[in-house]
Amino acid sequence: MATSSEIVSGEYKFGFHDEVDYLEETGHGLNRGTVEAISRFKNEPQWMLDFRLRAYAHYLSRPMPQWGGDLNQIDLDKIVYYRKPSEGEEKSWDDVPDKIKKTFERLGIPEAERKFLAGVGAQYDSEVVYHSVREELSKIGVVFMGTDQGLKEYPELFKKYFATVVPPEDNKFAALNSAVWSGGSFVYVPKGVEVPLPLQAYFRINAENTGQFERTLIIVDEGAKVHYIEGCTAPIYTTDALHAAVVEVIALPGAKVRYTTIQNWSNDVYNLVTKRAHAHANSTVEWIDANTGSRLTMKYPSIFLRGEGATAEVISVAVAGRGQHQDTGAKAIHLAPNTRSRIISKSISKDGGRTTYRGQLKVVPGATGVVASVRCDALLLDEGSRSDTYPYIDIQEDDTTMTHEATVGKISQDQVFYLMSRGLTENEATNLVVQGFLEVFTKELPMEYAIEFNRLVKLEMEGSLG
Amino acid sequence: MIAGEGALAGGGAGAAGPAAVASRVAPSDLTLSFVAEAAVRSVVAAAADPDWLVADRLAGLSAFEALPIETNPLYTTYVDLRNARLAAARPYTEPATAEPGAGAAKLLPEGAAAYAEIVEARVAALVLSAEARSAGVILETLADLRARNPELLRRLLEGGCALPENDKLAQMTRALWSGGLLIHVPDGVRLERPIVLRWAVGAPDTAIFARTVISMGEDAEVSVVEEQVSSGSAAGADGLQSQAFFAGTTEAVVGAGSTLSFAGLQDFSLRQVAFQHRSAVLKRGATVRWALAHLGSRVVRSRIDNRLDGDGSSVEQAEIVFGSADQLFDLTSYTRHVGRDTTGNLLSKGALADRSRAYMKGLATIDRSARGTDSFLGEFAMLLSKQARSVAIPSLEIDQPDCRRVAHASSVGPIDENQLFYLESRGLEPEEARRAIVLGYLEPVVARVPLESARDRLRELLEAKWDARPVARPTAAEEGA
Repeated sequence: MATSSEIVSGEYKFGFHDEVDYLEETGHGLNRGTVEAISRFKNEPQWMLDFRLRAYAHYLSRPMPQWGGDLNQIDLDKIVYYRKPSEGEEKSWDDVPDKIKKTFERLGIPEAERKFLAGVGAQYDSEVVYHSVREELSKIGVVFMGTDQGLKEYPELFKKYFATVVPPEDNKFAALNSAVWSGGSFVYVPKGVEVPLPLQAYFRINAENTGQFERTLIIVDEGAKVHYIEGCTAPIYTTDALHAAVVEVIALPGAKVRYTTIQNWSNDVYNLVTKRAHAHANSTVEWIDANTGSRLTMKYPSIFLRGEGATAEVISVAVAGRGQHQDTGAKAIHLAPNTRSRIISKSISKDGGRTTYRGQLKVVPGATGVVASVRCDALLLDEGSRSDTYPYIDIQEDDTTMTHEATVGKISQDQVFYLMSRGLTENEATNLVVQGFLEVFTKELPMEYAIEFNRLVKLEMEGSLG
Repeated sequence: MIAGEGALAGGGAGAAGPAAVASRVAPSDLTLSFVAEAAVRSVVAAAADPDWLVADRLAGLSAFEALPIETNPLYTTYVDLRNARLAAARPYTEPATAEPGAGAAKLLPEGAAAYAEIVEARVAALVLSAEARSAGVILETLADLRARNPELLRRLLEGGCALPENDKLAQMTRALWSGGLLIHVPDGVRLERPIVLRWAVGAPDTAIFARTVISMGEDAEVSVVEEQVSSGSAAGADGLQSQAFFAGTTEAVVGAGSTLSFAGLQDFSLRQVAFQHRSAVLKRGATVRWALAHLGSRVVRSRIDNRLDGDGSSVEQAEIVFGSADQLFDLTSYTRHVGRDTTGNLLSKGALADRSRAYMKGLATIDRSARGTDSFLGEFAMLLSKQARSVAIPSLEIDQPDCRRVAHASSVGPIDENQLFYLESRGLEPEEARRAIVLGYLEPVVARVPLESARDRLRELLEAKWDARPVARPTAAEEGA
């Protein structure tokens, strides 16, 4: 195994040595030709090309959003919209910023993984694990593959559900994604099947690499159960300025889906993601969503409760440091009777960072017996940091029980003082208070993720306290 | 009026104005054809305004023309002015001066320090108690002030006073006002009894633009009760024809250590549309208490701007809505904490029957300079019918971590079954129990009205509205038509 000094000095080289047959690239900027070229490279059916072009036309006609974060710095003409197989092979470890290298070290992530996460190397060790996971899953009929592959291998299932949850006309960046999408995960869990282990996008990405416009489609059939995890706790380094993904989840009657994200893009990325789920009768959908990276994230995981008795839960955590704006939140749209939703949001702003909670809770006429709650807590760690809360609560049915609460504050000095009196340093005490603040999120993570996430937060905190 | 009723029954064929055209109206469209330079010029001519005021009005007009109906992107999806059909409305242009005899002492209601009564565009009463007068309190029309002390008027109004610059409708009032009042309370004067303002307006197809300017010196104290009711001529059919429009302001500057308690009670008819702007600028240690009840009007659009400039200043705001029929209450409040150790305690409550709707939009902003802020924002609604709708957007923008408390809360639900059960178990009929719960729910605002008679009157109005509710369900006028 390489030592960290080898890593930093760049002596330890990983790279894609195999499976690279050719490199396709669309060049900078976007026009109709780019969209057509992407479809051609992928050898797609006509309906997908038509879909892409329809989305592209809408993308052109739609103005940039005038709300949320500052999008003026994005240069959409500089972006390369499609590149195969990965920009990774064009980069070297030397290009990875020191800050990120250091973070890998501090988090104790294995050397090979560091290379992979930084987008400059392939992680061979995990290949084995990945393949064994795949085998086990296919035995029980679970489909877990790249979205492009899904379109080829399961054309009917794909066409039935694709873009039914997030149509291209939903917003400008959903339109952009729909026009140029590439990569992402395609998951189908058959009726009654409970997937015993979390599906980790991480493993799949090893094999295929995920682009900046990935498109994920998860279909969980009646009575089935799955937990999908994407992202890692280490910062994902990318030279791409824009990440615009679309994630669609369909929970059929009685299904149970949990989707966990830990987003830690490097601090120059605009992360503009549309995530939405349809929850049918008696199904449960949970978004567990953490955002610590990126320059600007605008992401509001949503659940449309379409069937009677459906349940939705969103636990959202955001940490914004210097130069960062986390504009995140959640939406629960109650369209059927006796549906329940719970939204919990926790945010931390420090070193001039800005967090925004933007949420929507809607109950339509006829959706009787709805029980909904929203809770937002924000911590502001220092002067110059900022926190905003914009909840929209639109109730059109009298038989609704809805509560919403929000608090914003600083770290309790009493708690810090108490912990220090028990022998902790100020840093340790502050860390512990922050970890306690985020516990509602952390406790939902698989253990290894929780440990890494806590380390990550600790690291961020050390930075802030000098 | 007959033409209006005919139009209601016949689907709009007989009406004169463009409002009768059945074309699709966007929620943000406002049918105010009269807001134009000609209208401003006729107000100016009638009042013989000085040059600075003409310029100020024209600045308001160009802001009106340039601004969208809602400048805050947070709220653009919740605008609905479709039931404000004001194409036929015409503004009063004559300046509202006090009528002869308006100052007669016998007009002063018992328990009041001063009284103003405005009927349509006439000032029917304008009277101060001897006590108030000798303390140097001023209550006069802006038209009279223009004649008496034009320089003071200029100091108070030039530049739009405290009207929000980015608000289209506030700028409309700045351009077109013809009625208006000044309340001035000098340094150190603490009036025990309230000043009562009463508006009885609503003649069909009229538009009233009026400003109420409250200027308070240091260490002064005053309470104001404002009642807004329908004039007799506003009664009649509740259709969308021949509406009357009221655009009013309350613009308060509250000096260091002073306290302003303001209770507003609006009970216009369903043929009226009301746009209200209320603003308060608070100096060091100043306190403002708003207690506002919205019962009437087809469409209400209200905006409150509190600016806590002075250290230790505080605002307490309680608003209630009791809606029925297809009333829309669009209520926005902005509270900006600038000074240190300021307090904002904001509470909105709505009880919504029939197809009524309430949009409660509240934003508390805590500036970097506002250390030690205590801010609470609560928006609550009780839905009394299947068709009622409540939208709450209690928002916070916080730039300073060193706060005593920053929180908001919101809840929506029907009448609590447990409370109902409890009251029924104590022997109340279900309908009585419901009434007690709803009126009790709104009571916190009633209790904050400073004048006992006004408090009783508000309770009566709420009870009357509750009792009328089952009868009003298909609205009598629509049934008849």
